[in-house]
Amino acid sequence: MSSDRTSRRALMGGGMALTMASFVPFKGIRQAFAAEEDDRIVAAAKPLGAADLRGMIWSPYYVPMQPAMQEFKQLTGIGVGSIQDISIFDAPQRAMAEALSRSPQFDFFHIDSNMIPSLASAGLLEPLDDYMKKANFKIDAVGDYATFMTYRGNTYGVITDGNVHIEYVRKDLIDDPDNQKRFEDKHGKKLAFPQTWEDEFQIQQFFHSPDKDLYGSGGLRNRANGPTWWYMMFYSAGGFPFDEDVNPTIATDAGEYAVETYLQEKKVAHPESAGWGTPQMIPRINSGKVVACQYWDGTARLNENKEKSPTVGKWLYGLVPGSDKSGRRMHRSISSPLAAVLVNKYSPRRAQAAYLALWWATLKNSTPIVSDKVNTFHDAWHKGHMTAPTVVENYTPAGIKAIEQNMEVVSPPIYLTGYLEFQDVLGKNLSEAYIGQLPAKDVLKRTTEEWNAIINRIGKRKLKDELASYKALMPKKDKPAA
Amino acid sequence: MDGRVAHGRQQHVDTLARELSSSPSPRELSRARAIRRFRWSILGPLLALFAFVLLPVLFLQLYFSFHQWTVYLGTWWDADFVGLDLFQEVFTDPRFGWAIVRSLVFAVGSTIGCFILGFALAYLMHKPFRGQAAYYIIFILPMLTVPIVVAYTAEMLLYQSGPVNDVISRLLGVEFKPAWLTNPNFALTAVMLLEIWNWTPFSFIILLAGLSAIPKEPIEAAEILGASRWRIFWEVQLPLLRPVILLALVLRFLEAMAEFPKTWALFQGGPGTATETLPVYIFLTTWQYFQISKGAAMSYVVMMLMIVIVLVAIQLLRREKQSLDVMYAKTAER
Repeated sequence: MSSDRTSRRALMGGGMALTMASFVPFKGIRQAFAAEEDDRIVAAAKPLGAADLRGMIWSPYYVPMQPAMQEFKQLTGIGVGSIQDISIFDAPQRAMAEALSRSPQFDFFHIDSNMIPSLASAGLLEPLDDYMKKANFKIDAVGDYATFMTYRGNTYGVITDGNVHIEYVRKDLIDDPDNQKRFEDKHGKKLAFPQTWEDEFQIQQFFHSPDKDLYGSGGLRNRANGPTWWYMMFYSAGGFPFDEDVNPTIATDAGEYAVETYLQEKKVAHPESAGWGTPQMIPRINSGKVVACQYWDGTARLNENKEKSPTVGKWLYGLVPGSDKSGRRMHRSISSPLAAVLVNKYSPRRAQAAYLALWWATLKNSTPIVSDKVNTFHDAWHKGHMTAPTVVENYTPAGIKAIEQNMEVVSPPIYLTGYLEFQDVLGKNLSEAYIGQLPAKDVLKRTTEEWNAIINRIGKRKLKDELASYKALMPKKDKPAA
Repeated sequence: MDGRVAHGRQQHVDTLARELSSSPSPRELSRARAIRRFRWSILGPLLALFAFVLLPVLFLQLYFSFHQWTVYLGTWWDADFVGLDLFQEVFTDPRFGWAIVRSLVFAVGSTIGCFILGFALAYLMHKPFRGQAAYYIIFILPMLTVPIVVAYTAEMLLYQSGPVNDVISRLLGVEFKPAWLTNPNFALTAVMLLEIWNWTPFSFIILLAGLSAIPKEPIEAAEILGASRWRIFWEVQLPLLRPVILLALVLRFLEAMAEFPKTWALFQGGPGTATETLPVYIFLTTWQYFQISKGAAMSYVVMMLMIVIVLVAIQLLRREKQSLDVMYAKTAER
């Protein structure tokens, strides 16, 4: 005869067991869950049968993804047979060409996730929700980062590269007592990590010494990348580019503030900054020829690479500057391009491609990818990356903390159909203003006119329907939790 | 009646006799057939290519030029007919106008540059000398370099503190630091200089062939008459070379109008819009903005512009050839 009631002895025993279990490292449990997650993906993918997939992906991204892919191939027979090696900057055009021809040639695309609205509208993308549901998988990203993969209620991609902007400040300059005294004498305040754009500009100006080949800023101001910086300033001033009827709302106080802040950095930027991109700027940051800037997080691990970097330990990492313009202090970081794997709806192997994409995004598989010391293109994004020793070691604890902080307030560029056009028009006008071809006061006016033309062509109704998806990506808090 | 029949028969007989007397021999017939066959074997594939590949593309492009296709809203066959609206949009687009201006400036500048350097090299090389082959290879090397490689290499050389400015500064003894890659006033010039470096060999090869083909007799005659080198060059060689010069200029100009890889790799249209030439703007419109219809209309406008240029060039070439023929005929008469 058995009793339904739990004995006191059993209760005590259970309590003791739970207490003991609580001392088991959390990592172990996480790994157990991670293993389950991987098993579920394999279980869902295996019945689909073997497939040699073809992907459009840049090889520096693909190389560290290969070991995980090979393991998946052993387990399921699904792997990557061949890739088209194409830079992430050129992939949008190529992917759109695939969309227009409805080609099944590629099974997946590794691409800037800001292209999701345009590519989904062109009919190229396979929603991944059903596959995620079947494998009981979720994108376990920091903050609301997973929403960056969604568009009109569907999930269209999985993150592989976090690529968030963090703040870089030269620690050796800030910590120097002489500098601190001089700064305090000059500005009547302590020399500290910048909290606002104004703070940062003051620090940049203070240390700006072109004769020593030390420039205040390391931000990009070229036509292609410039808008990325402008958005951070604009959003942090409380701006949002469109009203509820998708009328551009950039010619506002927030917009003007952003243009002014954006252009004033010319005073502390390298004279060739108008044409520079990452190939020119990263080496300058890495060699310590920049005082302070916002930049993609991957540069932190280049800086902290003990074997290659001349500036190991010389940097402070933190939250990008904020603004009080809106009446309250607001910080807005940005992720662009946020690299993700998207699946081709026209591919007969789309299900296999979808499960491989999920496989790459599990904690177990993505951790080695973002920990790779040679191919440093993928940056941390998963909650688990924030504590994974191999990842933390690469970025340093301060670096990883900065990434986590900025991800909590990360925002996208224009997340609407026509993203590239919106972006290039803004970039063109900002660039013209930066080199003196266009008066600063005309940047927003002209951009508004040109954006209106884009909106009319794509259709207000369509863009209005998309606006909720864009707004869903915007951070819900002004600054990260302490 | 009989008389008329007899007359008709006589006419028939005369016609037959004429035909028989003028009819080609079997050998001639076979030769004519062979020539015809050869002509079609060459022309056939080209015509087939034109009919099955180029013509459909041109028609498709024409279709897009008259239909507004928004790639996000539907398929191309559902696009709305908009008549000439897209052409109107193109003609009233100031960016397109400026792109034409930039392309023309670029093409004229680089064509002249290529011609001057190419001609100078060709003139140095057209008489045989020891080691000529080695120089020939060296001179044509830039043309064999992939434009994208030219662009990336140049990027490293043209930084403000880069080797090019450094070498010029040392040579001049003063600081020479133009920002080739970021100053909007220099950016297009920088691509132009690269284009000249890249494609001078093309002009060189054509002009060298032209110079080598000039008959020796007029030059020898001028030498016997005591003409100076300069006069021989100016009054004998140059006039004889005019059709070749024109050909070199036209071909180079057309190529330069279509230059894309170097401009894009170095500037992507920037800084600002300083290097937004026709190919760059058409690429941006079609493949960045995905305005396929407007891009097609622009391409048609550019194609028409190029056709006009080519027709003018053909006319000029024909005139040059005729004047040369007249000159040769007069020389032969004397």
